Amino acid sequence: MTSRHDHYTPQPYDPYADDDFTWFNSDGQSAAVPQGQQGQQGQQGQQGYGYDEQYHAYQQQHEQYADAVPQQPVGQHEDQPTYALRTVRYQQVPDEPEYHIPQTPDAGWDDRPSRRRAWVSRGVLVVLMAIQAVLSLRLSNTAFQDEALYLAAGHNIIDHWTNSTPLHSGYESYFSGSPMLYPVAAALVDGYFGLSGARLLSLLCMLGATGLLYSFTRRMFNERVALVAAAMFAVTQPTIVLGWFATYDAPAIFLLALSAWIVVRTNRAPAIAVLLAAPVMVLAVAVKYASALYVPTLVVLAALTAWHHKGWRCLLRAFLLGLGTAALVGVGLMYTDVLAGVQQTTTNRAHGTDSAASLLQKSAEWGGLMFATAVAGAAAYALRGRMNESPRSYGLNGPGWRWRVLLGLVLTGTAVLAPAYQIHLSTAVSLYKHLDFGLLFAAPMAGVGVIRLVGKHFRYPQLGILIWVAALCLGVSQSEWRFGLWPDSTPLVKAIEPYMKPEARYLGATYEVPVYYLRDKTNHSQWTSTYGIGYSDEKGKIHHGREGYRLAIEAGYFDLVVLDGVATPDLDKYLEQQVTKSGHYRMVGTISFELSGGGTGSYKIWTKTS
Amino acid sequence: MRSFTRVRTAVAACALSGVLALSGCSVLGEESGGSASAGAGEAGAGVDDAASPEADVPYDVVPLLKPDKKYFGAAVEGAPNSTKGLDTYAEMVGKQPNLIEYYAAWGDGFDATGVRNAWREGAMTLMSWEPFDTPVADIAAGKSDTYIEEYATAVRKLNLPVVISFADEFNGHWEKWGTKNVTPEDYVAAWRHIHETFIDVGASNVIWAWSPNIVNPVKSVKLEPYYPGDAYVDWVGLIGYWTIEEDGAFDSVFGATRDQVRTFTKKPMILLETAAMAGERRRADIRNLFAGVTADDDMLGFVWFNHKKRADWRLEASPLALKEFKRLAADDSFGFDVRKP
Repeated sequence: MTSRHDHYTPQPYDPYADDDFTWFNSDGQSAAVPQGQQGQQGQQGQQGYGYDEQYHAYQQQHEQYADAVPQQPVGQHEDQPTYALRTVRYQQVPDEPEYHIPQTPDAGWDDRPSRRRAWVSRGVLVVLMAIQAVLSLRLSNTAFQDEALYLAAGHNIIDHWTNSTPLHSGYESYFSGSPMLYPVAAALVDGYFGLSGARLLSLLCMLGATGLLYSFTRRMFNERVALVAAAMFAVTQPTIVLGWFATYDAPAIFLLALSAWIVVRTNRAPAIAVLLAAPVMVLAVAVKYASALYVPTLVVLAALTAWHHKGWRCLLRAFLLGLGTAALVGVGLMYTDVLAGVQQTTTNRAHGTDSAASLLQKSAEWGGLMFATAVAGAAAYALRGRMNESPRSYGLNGPGWRWRVLLGLVLTGTAVLAPAYQIHLSTAVSLYKHLDFGLLFAAPMAGVGVIRLVGKHFRYPQLGILIWVAALCLGVSQSEWRFGLWPDSTPLVKAIEPYMKPEARYLGATYEVPVYYLRDKTNHSQWTSTYGIGYSDEKGKIHHGREGYRLAIEAGYFDLVVLDGVATPDLDKYLEQQVTKSGHYRMVGTISFELSGGGTGSYKIWTKTS
Repeated sequence: MRSFTRVRTAVAACALSGVLALSGCSVLGEESGGSASAGAGEAGAGVDDAASPEADVPYDVVPLLKPDKKYFGAAVEGAPNSTKGLDTYAEMVGKQPNLIEYYAAWGDGFDATGVRNAWREGAMTLMSWEPFDTPVADIAAGKSDTYIEEYATAVRKLNLPVVISFADEFNGHWEKWGTKNVTPEDYVAAWRHIHETFIDVGASNVIWAWSPNIVNPVKSVKLEPYYPGDAYVDWVGLIGYWTIEEDGAFDSVFGATRDQVRTFTKKPMILLETAAMAGERRRADIRNLFAGVTADDDMLGFVWFNHKKRADWRLEASPLALKEFKRLAADDSFGFDVRKP
């Protein structure tokens, strides 16, 4: 056993007794006793008190100077009184000990950029982007009407360029972006890799947007805010859906993010450098006209981000950007014929019947959490500008409050543009897609909001986690719901394929989908949609609306009728009655499908037999 | 230490990208598989894949409505549930029939096995659905809806083409559902109701054969009031036999009925039940049958009623007639594989 006293002996209290190192030992060395001694101690018995160890350390330290301190000869003069000082040989004793105590930093971490921090943040960003990619990739369905339309149009245009096949005219008049840009690019990818390839292009765009969002938010605030902004943006429904959706939106968002990045990145460069963003912005607008709604935000951002470096000259930067963009847009309008399309699809878009309340509700469901966080962030940022704990930070209180308020207003306010415009138009069409454009700009403020909620030194990380997980859950469920809103067209395409003949005429609800999948066998001009008809009877009189459909069916004008009851349910019922009444048609089959949210329906296909 | 951290980060990043790539691949594979199969045609689908209950694509019977060649049908004892009689018949006439008729009472279950058996032999099944115990008016009033729905669901699930002839010889007074008991209005209403129920269930794989008896014995009964309409009928099935009471010309047997039907519909016709009475004239009657069917493009073919019922209509009853039948049936225009119309 040990030689420990059997009875308790009170000892002076030593708070550092359990520490591995002590305050006494400030040379940075471990205060642990050398091995030999430790062993000795062990043999002696387990002294429970570090005091002894400290003593050893002290003794050890003291012994270092043994040679330097002259010692009285021992033995000779012991116990004898002395009356004279003996002279001893002088030896130099160092003024300073050879060890030194490092200066204690006033903060445990450094707020200056470092390679390590950059790489750690990028690593986290990669994880976020991986999550975003997985969320998008798990969605699956056949092509949506719009995807099919754009891709088929792209193929048509490419064929026209390469083989001089007839161009199905009129794309300019109803496409919400230039038919020559995205549709052609996507169709090119589609030609090699199919729909998945085209959708992958969108995924790359959305991942790129997340990356750029991180980058420009980091420059405006810091890594933490940037990561949270990217994390929030990456898991919202629109981002997830647009990442696997072959439409204009993903590239347009990417280009807007790229413009924002250029604007923020060039804030210290000469004002002229901001012009680099102009062509990118114009390209974004050309790819999707609705992007123009976000040009003012970028122009204001150009001024705000340069304020600290240029003062009032930052206005020149904004002016240059505005001028450059306007000039390029002017040139574009002069040499292309897109104005009609812009009016039709964007500025004069058909007014719907959706109420403001329902639109607000939808906006809140799909982007509300992020917007609320952004509002909170903007408010918190306006109240206090300091963005980190380090007492050595440059500009502890951040920029002035006016600037902060302005930045918060611009970024958060941008998120309101799309819902406001759609409420003006009373239409919910594509609302979720347009929300994402605004959320891209509100994301930095949402990042600030979450970081402020988490607090200094990550005091309440659970709040940040709570918000992100809530956003993730909403994003996952909503994106899946969104991808189930249209029927899987695979069996339909199979069923009607034998009926695709060069001269045949077809009536089809959402015919864009079969036209895309069966583009080798049919083309747009053979199809009439359920959105409108101009049927010319034997006498050459043109009939529109229900009358037009009725007469056409009665005359057996269509060789195939395909209805799904989704887009125009009332008309579809009417058409079904007419098809049955006419006696010319025989049912090829009904293919039932299930939609997300419990909806069911069926494709009904008739062919003319007499 | 720092380099170790870097290595670790790099490894983690690689692993992550690996996971990402894998998940991406699986999703891509699924997607591209979907679009590739969308391009695959349904033509020539064998019995096994077409009969799968999960088959999303309903069997398209339209190519069978008016094929280029003639149907060469037979009603044989036990067929199509048992293929024994069918094989004997095929051997006897030297050609595999491609339309097998059988009779089922209203209330019977759908004989999916029979249809599958026939299909495996390259033949389509024609089911004559006879409402012995249920008044046609009740059917029209929806009293048999559960039965019809179950039946239609079974037909849809099988996803193979079937011909249904409901309450045939309705214009005769000798059937329970004939002119004595059923009004044309009830008959049409019942027919439409059954048809609509089948369509609602998605059973579009049924070819509907509206089958009057030839008008010769019941000249006073007009057919048009009994006609459900072109939207509800695919074939006009004529039921008529060569008997010694009439002369043996094709037109003498079917002409009057055909002419009357042609006044209200242009739907293709088929001799849904026919045979010639045994006797000296039988060979000539058979010749007339083949010639009459061949001559008319709108005549899809015939079903030989090879039963001994009221009279002996079986071919084996007269070897000379059988020989003639065999000779004419060898013509390439009669019979084809219904699986590849």
